[in-house]
Amino acid sequence: MAPSLSYREKTLYASLAAELLVYGPYFFLHQQNSVNKVAGMIVAIIVLQIILQLVIAAFSRNRITDERDRLIELRGYRAGYLVIASLMVIGLGMLWFHAAVGHLRLESRMVGLHFLSVFFGMLVIADITKTATQIVAYRRAL
Amino acid sequence: MPAIRNQIRELRARREMTQQELADRVGVTRQTVIAMEQDKYSPSLETAFKVAIVLGVPLDQCFQYDPRGKR
Repeated sequence: MAPSLSYREKTLYASLAAELLVYGPYFFLHQQNSVNKVAGMIVAIIVLQIILQLVIAAFSRNRITDERDRLIELRGYRAGYLVIASLMVIGLGMLWFHAAVGHLRLESRMVGLHFLSVFFGMLVIADITKTATQIVAYRRAL
Repeated sequence: MPAIRNQIRELRARREMTQQELADRVGVTRQTVIAMEQDKYSPSLETAFKVAIVLGVPLDQCFQYDPRGKR
């Protein structure tokens, strides 16, 4: 019998859709980022996630989670952690390199926003990796 | 060949039990039962005991360990 989507899988697809819908335009369409846009995006993702989770919960008859769900969740967090740790090392390495060769010329008032944007981008990539890893684990039956 | 194989599908069919019924009685999702039947997921010892109890067989009749199998 072909496995249908479990409650956890549905919530993961919804999370991935929400992440791509909110983060995609932010990183690919906006050229000038600001603190307000970052704050607005965080609020948007929280609101969208709550709405999607409520809709899925309302239409899901069986909402139990079990040991396999927890194992898959841990795998997702491990993948997300590896991604963010790698990005941090690469990012700091690039920062050091550009500073060393004198390429880093940011206006002082823009430094904070620049770093906020970079670190937020790392968090977003790690979060999407976590969700995608969990979806792949479910599709492969683990 | 997986290291832990099981006879869940055969034992369940013999008792005319659906995957959902087994899942409900063991306390897991139907997707987990499907993954176990396909030998893609090895359950915890606690879940393995529960499955064996629900199917009314000793644990070693339900699950078998092959040391040469892939973990």
